[in-house]
Formats: sequence, structure tokens, C-alpha cells
Amino acid sequence: MTIAVPSLDTRRAEALAAYRAKGIPHRRIEEWKYSDLRSALDDDQIEHSDSLAWAVDAIPAGVAFFDLADSYDRMPGWVKQCLGSVSVHGAMDCAALAFGRTGLALHVSQRVTEPMRLAFSAHGHARLLVVVDEGASLTLVETQAAGGGLRNIGVEFVLGAGARLEHIRVAEEAADSVAVESVAVSIGAGAEYRAHFTSFGAKLSRVEANIVLQGEGAQAHLSGVDVLTDATHADTTTHVDHAIGNTQSTQLFKKVAGGKARSVYQGKVTVRAGADGSDSRQTAKGLLLSERAEIDLKPELEIFADDVKCAHGAAVGDLDTDSLFYLRARGVPEAEARNLLVHAFLADALDGIGNETLRGEVWSAVESALLRTGAA
Amino acid sequence: MLEIKDLHVSVGGKEILKGLSLNIGAGKVHAIMGPNGSGKSTLSYVLAGRDGYDVTNGSVLYNGEDLTVLPPEERAAKGVFLAMQYPVEIPGVTTLTFLKTALNAQRRARGEKEIDAMGVLRLVREKAKILNVSEEMLKRALNVGFSGGEKKRLEILQMALFEPKLAILDETDSGLDIDALKLVAEGVNTLRAPNRAMLVITHYQRLLDYIVPDRVHVLAGGRIIAEGGKELAHELEAKGYAHIVKDAA
Repeated sequence: MTIAVPSLDTRRAEALAAYRAKGIPHRRIEEWKYSDLRSALDDDQIEHSDSLAWAVDAIPAGVAFFDLADSYDRMPGWVKQCLGSVSVHGAMDCAALAFGRTGLALHVSQRVTEPMRLAFSAHGHARLLVVVDEGASLTLVETQAAGGGLRNIGVEFVLGAGARLEHIRVAEEAADSVAVESVAVSIGAGAEYRAHFTSFGAKLSRVEANIVLQGEGAQAHLSGVDVLTDATHADTTTHVDHAIGNTQSTQLFKKVAGGKARSVYQGKVTVRAGADGSDSRQTAKGLLLSERAEIDLKPELEIFADDVKCAHGAAVGDLDTDSLFYLRARGVPEAEARNLLVHAFLADALDGIGNETLRGEVWSAVESALLRTGAA
Repeated sequence: MLEIKDLHVSVGGKEILKGLSLNIGAGKVHAIMGPNGSGKSTLSYVLAGRDGYDVTNGSVLYNGEDLTVLPPEERAAKGVFLAMQYPVEIPGVTTLTFLKTALNAQRRARGEKEIDAMGVLRLVREKAKILNVSEEMLKRALNVGFSGGEKKRLEILQMALFEPKLAILDETDSGLDIDALKLVAEGVNTLRAPNRAMLVITHYQRLLDYIVPDRVHVLAGGRIIAEGGKELAHELEAKGYAHIVKDAA
């Protein structure tokens, strides 16, 4: 399949121009209302920031790999064609393409059962491209280690017909760093993207997922958990676009905030004209553990088709006093009862992680974070 | 076992119990009947230790110890059990996990050895039979999607499992049809024991046909206004609360 696209150099130049035109996002831009990147950064930091590091433990059979720091001459055709082509539109995504010379590209041509692990550390810009062929599948575990400065990653996932990608992202608490990740996903007919985003907060942390359900029967299932304390921040912003009918999307995000932390969920679902038979559900819930913490939840629906099923809901609250009393009256000490209720609150958002071992790993990271909030 | 003397309790600054006195001996079943708003639930909550129920005067002694100063979990470990009118639903925690957590928390507090998951399951199965609590219910999230009858049966199952010395049943009959009521009452009756006192709180006499009390107290306006044997329940049913309240005035 060959599609006439501008060359990579051209796409980079366009991205640079677009970034310069937009500038650093700030809170007067609606999508960045709860995450003022401009006050956390300056232009200089964005344009000179290049030591980002990544590591993979192994490249499984059925996965081709290209290091984006390698020379352009050696770059395979599929990278040249796809990198920066899915949908790079946000200022930070443009910056990652314009300034990022590091990162990696993966081409999955089989069903890969063993999860592949990718770890990002230090700071700077990077790109990640994963192309999953028709009928192929991969589970990608992405970890974000704590590191100072700005980390800005632009991710593109291209899923062919019937392909499957499970993407698990866990970001360590990084009180000194600004971490932005823009994930653009194109999902072909009958293909499925499952994402789980867990964040323990940063000075400013933002995961922005722009997902387009391109082919009939395409599915996107997103879930995530934040456990924040002190003065950390975590923003999950999603846009799921039902570009065609008979597509399905679900979202389930649970946010726990203590200290002076701020947790944000903004989720927009668009159902295009003619995309009949689209089915979309989004739920976001927040649990406040302190009076100074803040949780902002903003689900949004834009529907241009007639025959659709769409539901959304959001709620923020404190631990339920009836439940707490019930547990204590049955002998469970207060601290243990609170812990049990916080676990119960989070549980269904972690159940989305299909692989039991990985779910256990994410749970244990969540447990450690709960200990820091004093809820466990 | 339980000695309540001149108990005054306020909720949000409003006095609800206004000098309630009551003694229950070991092995006895006492019933408290009263119209809505008489303070029945307040009494059950203050005995179990719920926050926001302020004892402004009087005393509650449990085996000679001041109960009002203990947090709810310590009361539970010492053998006080409240079967609640509205058992809470907790999604994300299976019923069996909850039973194990609660049982072991109580045992730990008493310095007893904890019981492992298999041991708890065996114990629960044994108690579950008479109450018709299925294995499937135990695997579901606590009270989530349970019918009214299932919730109340699970409350009594917990009573059987924790083996309290003082069991308070707060409107255990509410929301039950006659078959469910009989099942629950049968469960309660098997738990009558010489070392166990029970306080059955109800609006209607119907429950007391199945759990026959040794004494009946009528609560109105935050005070006990009449006392008697089990026949008092029938008198109330026949003549209504207004009659008794008027007589007491």
C-alpha cells in the first residue's frame, strides 16, 4: 500500500511552523484549561531539550525495530511513510515531531503474546511509532521514570484491519518534571486498541489521546487511574472520533487526589454524520482525600449521527461515610476500612488490564502511591 | 450485660433520645417497638458507635465497661454487633473477602489467631446453609445487586460468623416478604444462646411472632414509655401507638 504523503523532512518543517504558530499551550486555550503548560515552561526549554532516553528489554519475534536516532538513509520505507502522518495537531505533538530526533519505531507483523516493555527516562523530545499489521497484535508496556525537566513524547499507533494493541502506560511520581505525551491512534476495521493509563503525578503531567475509529467494527477501550498526593498534577485528555458507523468505544477513569494535588479528565467523543450504530460509553469518577485537592472531570459528547448509543457520567466525592461506618462496625479498623474503600473505588478501572501479571504490577505501583497519600 | 441509664443523645444539636433507660441480661431477647421518628435507629447507631451521635448525658455500660468511649471497631471486637436496616453496597470488594477481612480484624483485636481463606470459606459455608446464602452470592461484590432479602440474610450470616455477645437488629424485617422474614427469623432463633443478648428493634409486631422476645419496650419521643412481656407487642398491634403514647402522657 502506498499513499502519497509529504516527505518526513517536509512533515517536520510543517510541524515546526505549526508549533511556532501555536506556541506553548496555556490555560486560556479550552483544552488546556486545567493544565497551564506556559507557566510551567518557557520556549527555551522546549527548543533546547534533547537528552531523552529510552530502553526496551527485548524485541520479540514478529516485531521489526528502528532506532529513530539512526541515519535517515537507513530508515525503512514504513517509517518514512508513517512517522508524523497519523494526525499530529497539538502544539506539543508538533514540537515532538519537529525537535525529536530520538525514539523508536516498531512494526508488528504477527500475533505477539509476550508483553514488550519500553521505558522512558531523562528529558527531551521523542517519538514512538507502532505499526500493527492486519491481524497482528502486541501488548506494549510503557513506563515513565521520574526525571526533571520537560519530557515530551509524540506517539503514533497505526492499527491495520483486525489488529490489536494493548497499551499500558505507568508514569512514576515526578514532582519536578513536566511530562506531556500525545498519543494519536488510527484504528482500522475490526481492530481494537485497549489503553490503560496510570499516573502518580508530576509538576505537570498530561496524556492526550486522539483516537480515530476508521473502519467498521473498530473498537477503543480506555481506562486509567491516577493516585496523586502533595502538589502533583495529572491530566488525562481524550478525544475519541467515531469516524464511521458500527464502532465501539468505552472509557473508565478513576482519580484519587490527596494533598494539594490536581487531577483532570477531559473526554470528548465525536460521532460523525452517518456513523450510525456507534456505541460509546464514558465514565469518570474522582475521590478526594483532602480538602485542598482538586479533581476536574469533563466528559463531552458531539453527535452528528442519528442511530447511536452514547452515555457519559462523572462524579467526584469523598469516601462514603455509610460504607466507612459499616466496615468499622464489623470490626475493620478505620485506616484499613479507608484503604479497602479506596481499593474498591479503583478496582474496575484496573480490571481493564487483560494480562494478570501486568495488572498485578500496576496494582502494586498503585498500592505504593496509596501509601504516600496516607489512604493505605 | 447491657445497662443503659438516662441516656440523652443529640444528632446535629437536636436531642433525639431524652433519658432512655434499659437493662438486658445475658441470654435475653428484648424488643424495642416504636413509631417512626421515636429514636429507634438513633439508639442502634449510638450503641454501635457511629460518628455524629453525641451522648450528652447518661451512661451505656456493656459488661460493666463504658461503651460510649470506644470506636466502633473495638465494640465489634468486644462482641457488639449491629444488623443494619440498610446494609451498604461496596462494589469492588467480594462478599467473601469482606467476611474474611472483618472476621480476622476482630480476631486480631482480641489477640486470636487469624484464619486463612480456606478456613474462612469452610466456616462461612457451614453458617450459610441455614440462611440459604449461596456460594454465588459470596463471590459477588458485597451487597451489590442483592435483593432486600439477600442483604438481610447476609447480615444474619455475619451475626452467625462473628458470634457476638450483644446483637442489635435494626428493623431487620423492613423490606422482607413473609418467606424471607421467616428465613431470617429462623436464622436469628438458632443464634439464641445463654451467653448472648439480643435487642430487636422494629416498627411492626409481625417480626416478634417469629422472634419471640422476653421483654418488649415501647419507645416514643426519645423515652421508653411502656414495658411488658411479649403480649405488649400484640396490644400495640391491636390498638396502635397513639393509644399507648396517650396513656403514658
